[in-house]
Amino acid sequence: MKKKSKKALIIVLIIIIIEGILSVGLNHELQIGFDEGKFVIRNVESEKSIQDQITHEFQNYKIVKLFGKFTINWSVLRVILFVDLFLILFAALVRWKMHLIPGKLQIIAELIYTFFSNLVIETVGEKKKYFTPYIFTIFVFIWICNIIGMIPIPGNLEPTRNLNVPLGLGLMALVIVHYTAIKEKGMKLYLKEYAEPISFMLPINIVGEVAKGISLSFRLFGNILGGAIIILVVSNLTRFILIPVGLNLFFGLFIGTVQAFVFTMLVLSYTAVAIK
Amino acid sequence: MESEIIRAAALLGAGICMGFGAIGPGIGEGFTAGKACEGIARSPENAGLLTRTMLVGQAVSESTGIYSLVISLLLIFAV
Repeated sequence: MKKKSKKALIIVLIIIIIEGILSVGLNHELQIGFDEGKFVIRNVESEKSIQDQITHEFQNYKIVKLFGKFTINWSVLRVILFVDLFLILFAALVRWKMHLIPGKLQIIAELIYTFFSNLVIETVGEKKKYFTPYIFTIFVFIWICNIIGMIPIPGNLEPTRNLNVPLGLGLMALVIVHYTAIKEKGMKLYLKEYAEPISFMLPINIVGEVAKGISLSFRLFGNILGGAIIILVVSNLTRFILIPVGLNLFFGLFIGTVQAFVFTMLVLSYTAVAIK
Repeated sequence: MESEIIRAAALLGAGICMGFGAIGPGIGEGFTAGKACEGIARSPENAGLLTRTMLVGQAVSESTGIYSLVISLLLIFAV
């Protein structure tokens, strides 16, 4: 029984791979069926070119109008709300069954939280560890946002793929960094820092501060969007056989985790520089 | 005719932009990884800290490549 199923699996795999080789080509499709009483396998040009597909995939957003003036990108907002719901549920489940001897969920939450708590204490010092909740939240949110695109449900795109989401996160980080700097150092010292080392450098310093937030958000956006485009194009080349799994593992899990970590780490180090 | 020339120039520009933009991050990230390897070989007990710093540094030096990616995407889809 076992041998038979193994053999069947191998045969199916070989058929799939042959199918893939036969139909290889960017704008082509494989047709198998009966045409005028004859059995045919042929390679036809597909109706949608790869460029149309990419445009459809990355610009086809559902826009909802509110009060006639505000426009809301519903297809991105939906996924963000789903992520929020997931995080709230997770937090509630962990908080509900809090024990001295931790359960499985509590161990996961405590692991991540302890890691970031140690990181914050290492970077900005013991006294300012009230930063930990923000850093922890921003990491978990971006992380879930990045890896949610791996779940194969139609319309389940990464929210960070749209520029508005990373730009909002970057702006929020900038505001928090400067607010903390003013709170810790006082207005006078904070303003004086812009004229360092000489007052002539004022515009350059201001541009540098703005560029921090922009580079932060563009890095996240570019990485996720580039990964998504590469997944789409290579999947089309290989007719969606086997390769997309590995690509999703690399671009979804690895790059997503690294970029979420890098975002939080950079926000943390900007804060450490600003309040020093 | 004219629009076709513009389109061709935009596609050519996108390819050149991505190709040249990938040189800098490639060299920078490889250099960082090599130095981190040396550091870990010298003091294996600091491996976690070194890896963390390496990842952050690589992500920062990667951003120029990401800018060129954004520019080439603009050239392909917006022009």
